Amino acid sequence: MSLKVLNPNAEVLNKSHALHMNINAAKGLQDVLKSNLGPKGTIKMLVGGAGDIKLTKDGNTLLKEMQIQSPTAIMIARTAVAQDDTSGDGTTSTVIFIGELMKQAERCIDEGMHPRVLVDGFEIAKRATLQYLEKFKTPVVMGDEPDKEILKMVARTTLRTKLYEALADQLTDIVVNAVLCIRKPEEPIDLFMVEIMHMRHKFDVDTRLVEGLVLDHGSRHPDMKRRAENCHILTCNVSLEYEKSEINAGFFYSNAEQREAMVAAERRSVDERVQKIIDLKNKVCADNDNNFVIINQKGIDPPSLDILARAGIIALRRAKRRNMERLVLACGGEAVNSVDDLTPDCLGWAGLVYEHVLGEEKYTFVENVKNPHSCTILIKGPNDHTIAQIKDAVRDGLRGVKNTIEDEAVVLGAGAFEVAARQHLVNEVKKTVKGRAQLGVEAFADALLVVPKILAENSGLDTQDVIIELTGEHDKGNVVGLNLHTGEPIDPQMEGIFDNYSVKRQIINSGPVIASQLLLVDEVIRAGRNMRKPT
Amino acid sequence: MKEIVTIQVGSYANFVGSHFWNFQDELLGLADSPESDQIFKSHGLNMDVLYRTGETPQGILTYTPRLVSVDFQGSLGSVSSRGTLYNEIPETPVDTLTWTGPVTTHTSQPLKKNLFLQSLYLEENANLGSSRGCESENSDSHTEVQDEDIVQSLENEVQYWTDYSKVHYHPQSLYELSGLWSEINDFNNYGIGREAFSGGQHAEEINERLRFFVEECDLPQGIQFVVDDSGGFSGIAGEFLENIADEYTNIPVLLYSVHSPDSGMDSRNRKLAISRKLHDAVSFSKLSAFCKLIVPVGLPSLNTSRMSKYLCLEDRKPYHTSAVYASAIHSISLPFRMQPLGPSAQLSNTSGAVKIKDLVQMLAGQARQNMVTILDIAMPAPAFTGTQAQQSLLEILQPLTPEIAEGVEDMQALESMTVHGAFASGMQKSHSFEVKDAVQAAYLNAVERPKFSHLSIAQCPLPIPLPFPSIFGNLIGRNGELLDTPISESTSRGSLEVHSVPMAARLRSSNAVLPFLENRLANLRKFGLARGALGTELLRNWGFGKEDAEELGEALSNMVTTLNPASLESSDSD
Repeated sequence: MSLKVLNPNAEVLNKSHALHMNINAAKGLQDVLKSNLGPKGTIKMLVGGAGDIKLTKDGNTLLKEMQIQSPTAIMIARTAVAQDDTSGDGTTSTVIFIGELMKQAERCIDEGMHPRVLVDGFEIAKRATLQYLEKFKTPVVMGDEPDKEILKMVARTTLRTKLYEALADQLTDIVVNAVLCIRKPEEPIDLFMVEIMHMRHKFDVDTRLVEGLVLDHGSRHPDMKRRAENCHILTCNVSLEYEKSEINAGFFYSNAEQREAMVAAERRSVDERVQKIIDLKNKVCADNDNNFVIINQKGIDPPSLDILARAGIIALRRAKRRNMERLVLACGGEAVNSVDDLTPDCLGWAGLVYEHVLGEEKYTFVENVKNPHSCTILIKGPNDHTIAQIKDAVRDGLRGVKNTIEDEAVVLGAGAFEVAARQHLVNEVKKTVKGRAQLGVEAFADALLVVPKILAENSGLDTQDVIIELTGEHDKGNVVGLNLHTGEPIDPQMEGIFDNYSVKRQIINSGPVIASQLLLVDEVIRAGRNMRKPT
Repeated sequence: MKEIVTIQVGSYANFVGSHFWNFQDELLGLADSPESDQIFKSHGLNMDVLYRTGETPQGILTYTPRLVSVDFQGSLGSVSSRGTLYNEIPETPVDTLTWTGPVTTHTSQPLKKNLFLQSLYLEENANLGSSRGCESENSDSHTEVQDEDIVQSLENEVQYWTDYSKVHYHPQSLYELSGLWSEINDFNNYGIGREAFSGGQHAEEINERLRFFVEECDLPQGIQFVVDDSGGFSGIAGEFLENIADEYTNIPVLLYSVHSPDSGMDSRNRKLAISRKLHDAVSFSKLSAFCKLIVPVGLPSLNTSRMSKYLCLEDRKPYHTSAVYASAIHSISLPFRMQPLGPSAQLSNTSGAVKIKDLVQMLAGQARQNMVTILDIAMPAPAFTGTQAQQSLLEILQPLTPEIAEGVEDMQALESMTVHGAFASGMQKSHSFEVKDAVQAAYLNAVERPKFSHLSIAQCPLPIPLPFPSIFGNLIGRNGELLDTPISESTSRGSLEVHSVPMAARLRSSNAVLPFLENRLANLRKFGLARGALGTELLRNWGFGKEDAEELGEALSNMVTTLNPASLESSDSD
């Protein structure tokens, strides 16, 4: 309250108010996201003020679409989004877990417990849970040839929470194959080497994996071939545009001939560069009917395109920077920055290059490549919101597969881990803790159950029945998860329901940290803030 | 062809941009309309420089601005970010194809379209209708009445920049930043914008959109970049510009950093005031690092400036003030679109074509190589002969750049002026050579003369579109001529009374801009660099360590010394 003396304009919330503000914000956020969770969750359709539609089941996307104002909610949301950035999934779970921890804490605090003691209990429980997770995880040996089945199971688990089953199963293969395609032994996986391209065209089930690359532009000359087989690919970053020389020569000429001469001289250096490329083409395509394709990161102006077209070369300009890397990985060869020392070794190879036109949008497919280390997932869908939703799901799937390969471990899903960890905490850990911190451990343990609870709730099952049945089975020593169709316990191993180890670890790590911080807040001060409404 | 890609970043930049594109749209409309004046029909401007031709999936041809615009989520008001051109026949009801489970729908309250947007919508439908049959004749008088209501409603109700936009944008053009989670008022410094941009997918997506437009260009002449530098958007623009400089090395960027009049207020709060001063310094230093020519635009108050002699502007309405800035940017951009002609071009409608690269070379490439230029305009431009001629054009040009010195003598000043639609005397449009002579005469009589001056002339005045705000005073006639006696009782006249306005605009590289630079440098040194300065912590929060901050200061002080070599000694001594 001393702040009031210092600054009479400051708004101060005292202890219990501050705490309840935080708890309510956390619960509110949980309420918004909880119906998203799991393969039986609800998809949300957001219709904006101007009639724009967004369709999402992804916690991360939903959080970004919401215009969150409460500072507490923002703090939680940032943690959840950071969760997505680091491990690619688990946004919804993080928010729900934090919300549940706060809910449990509220109960204890109302009974007169001090937040400090509660937080100590959380800390003990968190460490115990993480240790238990190490024991609980299922190790997967990756080696040179990863077990495709286990990767598929992880991908399917993620995708089925985002898309309907048939489509999810179709994408499972695509996602796993894409990651295996770009994977190189002894190197971290760079998911950027999977291009995700979309076409507003046909149906979602036409989504496919292109081994090779799809570029979102085409050649800019009417005489260039729209389809070519057996192509040498030149990946380069060389300007083929006419530029005025830096000293402003253009200003000083006294007649038309002089001007022409000036322009011609400036033009010549570009033409020489083009000629060098044509020379290379003639060299490699001399005694066969192979084709030659240039994909350039810089611009190519119409006269250069003209010359190239006459030489029978297909030229694409202003390629994405990332595609330079991808092309080399997909087709071989190397990306050149100058045309001075071109050799046939610089060239990549593709069996087929063709163009696909949809209205004003052009796509160039570079396919039938040898031994690709880069590929494209081509998403198709009838409208933008469908495409956006599939794209989100594909991203999550890719991250899931990558995590599995890097973790070399998975965790049994369908709520099995949460129930097992809870039983572990209540039956084993709690006894080793002295004093009131026990209650903190218990609160933490109960909060873990929120995942199976909400899974059950979203499937229209009775949560209490489900939890009793699950904990009963666990006490008998059976590790079981929840069958969302029947409400019966199932063995996630048999059903192939696996979650990412790193995602789970991250959730258990970050959830209690935020919850503890929020619980220890005893004053909220808004000082010197400008409360004027935006115009 | 030499294409320009336009980029608008930030709320106020989009307000300015919306007016700018309205002018272009009006020019296009007037060129096609049978009733319009001859000067609009053959304006001699190549609109393809700013616009692109496209095709919808249904095969309908489109002509849309080559534009990337970035703004807050929800800043588009009642207009969809995808525009309406490329919409397929709406599938009703919208079904969720990707999920078989339950669906919940959250529908925001649909925003009501204002009268102007409603009338645009009706007109479009009527156009579709009239191709089938005709029933339009009798509705003419009806629309006449409505126009006044529209102008009135715009005057009072404009809230979003889309409210007065009559242009169709390409679906790739409008980008909304989602997931900022900060109130608009808190999005007020360089650091927060930089953070928002570097974190998520935004950077990639925005760069992709720019690439979409650049890829289509055969030979881009430059990028015209308008940024609202009063808040976090300059952080976004800074990162974006850095990327552009990296990716498109030989495409010059002409940067207008615009500032709305009210953004300087509320300086009672000391902390906020320091933050704002530091922000201005940092953002100017950062933005200027990645462009070829920077034009700071935005007076602290337009209403109390000398502009108010002919214009009645309300400072608190961005709809009003942005119109003036947009007019100036329009005038400056005219030479980029003129067809270059041989020496015999004296009689054509335009003369003095330059490309962005040439302009940069002219103003920042010669002699002192100062890249900070001052923007001056005369709106409306006076007639060159006759009664008003005694009032020199040069005196009427008013700076739109803040914090500049007046009446300084600069022997090395460089200028580029554009005059369009000017009258010779009375109602007679003047020819290029008359304008040329008049300007030359003006310079001869002037006390200070620039070292170099370039003049571009177009016959076509600034067309005033219907959604233009009523900002003209009662001394301005129907075609923008200056009157000796007030024409009517009412003080402000809008698009219904004034149809076009002659304009003169000038970019000038002069040491008059020194105070602007020195203020920023001094603020940065005082609050950010000095030992124990109040803002060091703030700068660190924005992601500038000690060395970064010193680098920013270095850049600013270099700009000062290019204009004023004497300052080098003075700054060394303290």
